[in-house]
Amino acid sequence: MRKQIIDAIYNQMEVDERIFFLIGDMGINLVEKIEQKFPKRFVNVGIAEQNLISVSAGLANAGFRPIAYTISNFLIHRCFEQIRNDIVLHHYPVTLLGTSAGFDNSPLAPTHHIIDEWGALRSFPGMDIYSPSSVKYAESILTKVLARNRPAYIRVPKGEFASPNSEDDIVYLKGAANKVLLVSYGTAAQDCLRAQEKNPDFGCLILNQLVPLDRKGVLTALNDYGQIVVVEDHFGATGLYGMICELCASSGVLKQITSRSPDDYTFEVGKSNAYFHKKYRFDTESLLADLK
Amino acid sequence: MKNTVSPSAVRASILGMLYKSGASHLGSSMSAVEMLIAMYSSVDCTKIISKAPDRSRIFVSKGHCAAATYATMAHFGLLPMSALDLYHKEGTLFAGHVSHAVPHVEHSTGALGHGVNVAVGCALGLQSLNYQSGEKVLALCGDGEIQEGSVWEAVMFASHHDLNNLFILIDNNRISSIKRTAEILDLHPLKQKFEAFGMNVFDVDGHDVAAISACLVPNTTNRKPTVVICNTIKGKGVPFAEWEPVWHYRMLNEELYNQAMAALN
Repeated sequence: MRKQIIDAIYNQMEVDERIFFLIGDMGINLVEKIEQKFPKRFVNVGIAEQNLISVSAGLANAGFRPIAYTISNFLIHRCFEQIRNDIVLHHYPVTLLGTSAGFDNSPLAPTHHIIDEWGALRSFPGMDIYSPSSVKYAESILTKVLARNRPAYIRVPKGEFASPNSEDDIVYLKGAANKVLLVSYGTAAQDCLRAQEKNPDFGCLILNQLVPLDRKGVLTALNDYGQIVVVEDHFGATGLYGMICELCASSGVLKQITSRSPDDYTFEVGKSNAYFHKKYRFDTESLLADLK
Repeated sequence: MKNTVSPSAVRASILGMLYKSGASHLGSSMSAVEMLIAMYSSVDCTKIISKAPDRSRIFVSKGHCAAATYATMAHFGLLPMSALDLYHKEGTLFAGHVSHAVPHVEHSTGALGHGVNVAVGCALGLQSLNYQSGEKVLALCGDGEIQEGSVWEAVMFASHHDLNNLFILIDNNRISSIKRTAEILDLHPLKQKFEAFGMNVFDVDGHDVAAISACLVPNTTNRKPTVVICNTIKGKGVPFAEWEPVWHYRMLNEELYNQAMAALN
């Protein structure tokens, strides 16, 4: 979905001269057309991510709408203080565009597994967090982010997923009453959707926007089910599982809520993210086998 | 008003703020007074007040010299003098690190190694916008602060992109938080380090406003950014605090406040 978002940025830069696109020396065969068409509003800061974030903040001070792009582990983890102090505290409308979500970099070891970043970011009030789950949503996301005019993080998976074919921030595919609701986002949502295809009793709630959480939309869906399973390629406690538990606790909703997610870092090699989805039992087959 | 701001008057304001509030960072504030005066003298403060898009920007990267920053701003008409009585007072917005919640402050700082980088981004943005207004971006940076690696990311970038609208002023008071920088991480040879990164570097008496001001002119020949190493005395003007690392943290009591004011006068 990187291509769709980069295309959207290119198109938007043609009509909105406030957009400034920054990269941390990433995006080969993807970003060159932006560099060529908009040389005054494109910069490759090099392998210097702290500077990437603070330079973005400075550009926002000068009146731009910066979009900072690199792999999420470099974009978020290394720059946590820069994101908090230079962007969030100032409410600068900087968009952090991070790729390689979850286990997209499967064989590259835990330095490149991105399974803990947005949970850290959600501790910052005022930072919107998106996780596009389909091409359709990815194509529409930039317009939403620019209109909302706030600090934002977009967590972009590597796949190009056709389903759910929706521009909505939250997508609910109803299952059988009192059965299992799978709540998910990003790449893991595909495991859930495939499981639902094989077992239509499963409900699926797909969140394209994680923060702020659509509390009403989520609670409405939860009410239909006896068991809630949050499926994600991110630590559950700080991720969506934690958010759903907080929502239910603060709303007086008593449900059994379980997490399917990684529970620690791993140095095991996987050829693709499927290996880790299976390891942590949130691949399609495991969901079908374990949940009734 | 620009040319009449006296360092002694600013120092007296700072002493009053720190004594009344029981706040620290006396040494870091006193060393930066002439630098701040030179910075605010070199820009059009009316544009800062009107928030003009093509205004010059001042970033105080060593945010712990908040007392000096607010005192200088007040002497330049950017804050009412009465605001200085609010410093460190509960419920106000005048905290001990520079805050953009205070009017006419561009950016909040406090953690080191941020302000210079934000200034660089701003300089890049203003250059891209090509206002042709002669606007400058000035960043005040501590010498201990440049032990932060992020500062060197900023310097490398600024030089590569020929940001000659950028001026980084280093408060070279040679004492960081608890010790002399030479004992912790020696910065010597500082001038050559910045020159090696491609900057135009000046090395001046940091308590000479005219000498600092003379450096704040864009280099239109090589178009590189400017670094002004301002050699200063931490605690300048307060004899018992000069060169004493402990005055990074120590607070004034009545006796010491009176001594300090008498020395200024």
